[in-house]
Amino acid sequence: MSAQEKRRRFELDDRGFNEVPRKYRKYYRRWEGPGDKLQPNEMLCPVCKVVVRSNRELRPGDRLYCMACLTRLRIAEGANDELEAEVEY
Amino acid sequence: MTDFLKGYDIQYWLESAAQGYLENTEYGHQAGEREPDLLLEEDTLREQAIDTTVQLVVGERCALAASSGLINAAPDEASKRFLATQTLDEARHVEVFTQRLYDLGVKPKELEGVLKDRANPHLVKFAEALLEKVDKKDFVAGVVGQNIVLEGMAFRVFEMLQQGNAEANPKFAHILSGTIADERRHVGFGENRIGSLIREHPERKADVEKLQKEMTYHMLATFGSQFGKGPSPKQMDEIMADHGAKRSGGEWQGVKLAEASPEELEAVLSDTILKEFKLRLERIGIEYQTPARP
Repeated sequence: MSAQEKRRRFELDDRGFNEVPRKYRKYYRRWEGPGDKLQPNEMLCPVCKVVVRSNRELRPGDRLYCMACLTRLRIAEGANDELEAEVEY
Repeated sequence: MTDFLKGYDIQYWLESAAQGYLENTEYGHQAGEREPDLLLEEDTLREQAIDTTVQLVVGERCALAASSGLINAAPDEASKRFLATQTLDEARHVEVFTQRLYDLGVKPKELEGVLKDRANPHLVKFAEALLEKVDKKDFVAGVVGQNIVLEGMAFRVFEMLQQGNAEANPKFAHILSGTIADERRHVGFGENRIGSLIREHPERKADVEKLQKEMTYHMLATFGSQFGKGPSPKQMDEIMADHGAKRSGGEWQGVKLAEASPEELEAVLSDTILKEFKLRLERIGIEYQTPARP
């Protein structure tokens, strides 16, 4: 089985993020502050602090779009093996 | 350079803002919401609320003048359209915060006098410096000043105010939530626009660093002096005890907002504002320049 096939998939639900058009709302949620924990399919947008959600587990090299602040993101490996988002200008 | 705006159009703005988080709102809050009775009855609290709201109106008037002025200075069609939506956002912010002043008891005929008397002088100086750049049709300076310095910093202040008022004053917290949603687009535009400019024209880096150095001082000074105002935690306790009420407020960056002193609030805000501002600049590719006192 390839690494691509092993990725977990996630069913996304609407978390009440109403700052983007209705059909895209499930891809975002509000960041709840220091106690909030990101899931493997989630990434915090460094520009506007909204959580961007994917329907699959994130891996380095994946690209995301933060519709709340119009920013393109690329997932990279950060410190302590944690994933982080880099902005693509 | 404006590829990041490809997915953005007026239709998107309508579906996100007017038909999204602003749907069914009145002056930015839910219908029927009003300022808490205690705030309207207790002079110290009302004066503090008026003072804070004056700074919001002054800042938003500056952003309205800057974003509308930048439309004709923008070198491309996509940026012009974005700035047209930002202009309407800023006009709305001016309107909702002005309405709040009226709700707090400021009479329409007193408005200009109240703004003039209470505007923070550093904020006025910042506005003058920014609008001078906009008048010269200096697009890059205008975007750095408005979308990176002014909005990048104000974004965190709005978040703290929103958290602090979520329980005690849902009306004001709702107004701030809509404003924060707008600000996300504005800071995104600033960071993406200047970030791509630096990538394509690294020779402009020194210019942008100089602009940041010039424009940051007055914003930081505004926050610093505003937090020196207002009742101390002890005075607040006395006011609340007199009315048989308890202080309530959310938590922001690990600080219990209702219990924090102005100094603690200033410290946490300076830490987050400056820390995140430096990170934003670093992402864009420019190095933070400590501002000199003008």
